[in-house]
Amino acid sequence: MVRRRVKKFKAQSSKLKVQIVTLLVLIVGVSQMGCLSSSLAYAAGPPTLAGCVIDSQGEPVRGAEVAAYLNDAEEPTVVGESQANGVFVLDLPEDAMDSLRVEIERPHFETTTWIAEADDLDHLRQGHTLRLPDITLKRRLTLGFWIATLTFVAILVLIALEKLHNAMAALLGVAVVLGTSFVGGAIRPDLFIFDFERAIEYVNFDVIFLVMGMMIVIGVIEETGIFQWLAYQAYRLSGGRAWLLVVILMIITAVASALLDNVTTMLLMTPMTIQIALAVGINPLSLLMPEVLASNVGGISTLIGTPTNILIGSYADISFDDFLVNLTPGVLLALVALIVYVLIAYRHQLLTRGGGLSEALLERLKESGRITQPQKLTKAGIVFVVMLIFFVIGERIHLVPAVTAILGAVAMLMWVAPDIEEMLKVVDWTTLMFFIALFILVGAIQEVGLISFIATGIKALVGENLSVALLVLIWAGAILSGVIANIPFTAAMLPVVGFLTRTVPGAGSKVLFYGLSVGSALGGNSSLIGASANLVTAGIAERAGYPITYKNFIKVGLPAMIVTVLAGTLWLFIRF
Amino acid sequence: MGKILCATRGGEASYDTQDAAIALAKERDDELLFLFVVDTHFLDKTGRAVRPDVVAEEMGHMGEFLLAMAQERAQKHGVAADYLLRRGEFRDELKAAAREEEVGLVVLGHPAGTESAFVPSDLEAFATEIEAETGVEAVIV
Repeated sequence: MVRRRVKKFKAQSSKLKVQIVTLLVLIVGVSQMGCLSSSLAYAAGPPTLAGCVIDSQGEPVRGAEVAAYLNDAEEPTVVGESQANGVFVLDLPEDAMDSLRVEIERPHFETTTWIAEADDLDHLRQGHTLRLPDITLKRRLTLGFWIATLTFVAILVLIALEKLHNAMAALLGVAVVLGTSFVGGAIRPDLFIFDFERAIEYVNFDVIFLVMGMMIVIGVIEETGIFQWLAYQAYRLSGGRAWLLVVILMIITAVASALLDNVTTMLLMTPMTIQIALAVGINPLSLLMPEVLASNVGGISTLIGTPTNILIGSYADISFDDFLVNLTPGVLLALVALIVYVLIAYRHQLLTRGGGLSEALLERLKESGRITQPQKLTKAGIVFVVMLIFFVIGERIHLVPAVTAILGAVAMLMWVAPDIEEMLKVVDWTTLMFFIALFILVGAIQEVGLISFIATGIKALVGENLSVALLVLIWAGAILSGVIANIPFTAAMLPVVGFLTRTVPGAGSKVLFYGLSVGSALGGNSSLIGASANLVTAGIAERAGYPITYKNFIKVGLPAMIVTVLAGTLWLFIRF
Repeated sequence: MGKILCATRGGEASYDTQDAAIALAKERDDELLFLFVVDTHFLDKTGRAVRPDVVAEEMGHMGEFLLAMAQERAQKHGVAADYLLRRGEFRDELKAAAREEEVGLVVLGHPAGTESAFVPSDLEAFATEIEAETGVEAVIV
């Protein structure tokens, strides 16, 4: 008796193992296939329903509730949820199956129903797994859509008009969308946008930690006086020749912006530049305007140069190396074009030499251009160079940029500037909160489908033509970045560009992402509000008695933007 | 010998004010005190990482340079001049400086087009405010 029981157990156990293995193979197979196959597939095992939920762009839909109703039941028999890849698997009971209806529901989509036919039911009754054809959910405009969309637009307007601090505006937006979801959604389901867990999933912590790490690194370096020293060296090397001075300053600013941060670069270069301009005897704006234009150009040549590149690199998996190979040469071309433009636009102001400052003032200028902490600079320089090496080789050793930045920041804190409380003050938590809130807001408009509509609209415009798509992205980005803050603009455009990259033939090289980088950053040169570096430079210049008005900025900046975007466009067409 | 306080920035728009203050100081045989206020409030709305203390320090160096230029201009005209750098909000710091330095006269520059920090009616109101709160005469030049 015992022997028979053992035999029966072993047989049942083996059968179960086969069933489990089969199910696992099926799940792996379905997930690997993605949602490409439209034919039904069968495998032995308990009755199981598997499928994939996608949206009208062919993107997998996560979190869709999949409910199976057996035998016309009022309540669902089995309920499951689609995963990140859109796949769902439902284990059906081994009961008599006369009918099967599957309803797929998700907020902001129309409920879709699939009804099993006779053949399908037969296969299920035999204990097979039924693979459904991909289920496409259609978008549905809800009140939540309008709330999320209007909130996002309002935030962009508030930021553009400087009515509120950027972080405050973004947090207000988050409060509106989450408040609407939780409070409004309880009263009227149409108001639901997303829940808190889903909101947090949109936060890209790679970006947060990369930005945070670089803040600490820059915070240590900026105290050493290196920016001011570089500006003074430019003055010395130029020998009082204004045209040469502006070229050197533009190159220094562009390189510093590429490696560090262009806002910090301009904040520290501007006061020194004003003094140098007075020493040379020219209007400081003849140096400041070219510098800030160069800083916006130089910033896009590396992954870490601008927040927009950090966003793009993280979303599109573009490495530090990729930016160096695919974008840096174009940036150099744009910088050369910008230098030529500046020398022509400012030719009258720059054809001057000498300033007639007293020895005392020149000595004061020299004192301002001193390295104030040479030992700290040496150590910080070593750490920074090592970081750059790891940024370059990181992809080969699977080291993400965020980790490199954090390691560099820790090295700075441990070795260069050990006062951690002092150094952690350099982290601008307000800016990090701004990024977190922005990710959530962009996630909200993705959830409700605004991004899908924009993506569909742009796809209809560009069709299958990669060149048209690239031109549209670059120039629309450049024009819009002049009026809309480029960080939220870039964050919102990423899923759109992602969609176009997948659907436009030839876009797999990620050229459209580089186009977004060029447009959104270089577009910032077209107006005073186009980039933070412009605003801070104008703020300091105004306090020194050299205001940069909106009109004056556009007169110089708009042609510069056109010249540099043309150069960037030319490069991308040559490269790709 | 009394003291005249003249708030100044750089730029040609400030030269007229400085020249007027220099002329007044020469006429009254007073010492001239130039004031530059480092105001970093414009950083408040910037959405990017900045350190106000580091920026303030650099703007302070710049301010001292501009003040030293103003001082030299005064000295060229035979007027004894010193300068003062303060940090904070402009109006408050100007009034505080007037009180602390025990000046006899505050000179405010007349708006020069769009480059002034004030419009004319604001400037007159500010002059009245200075007189009321500090007891020091304020003139618009």
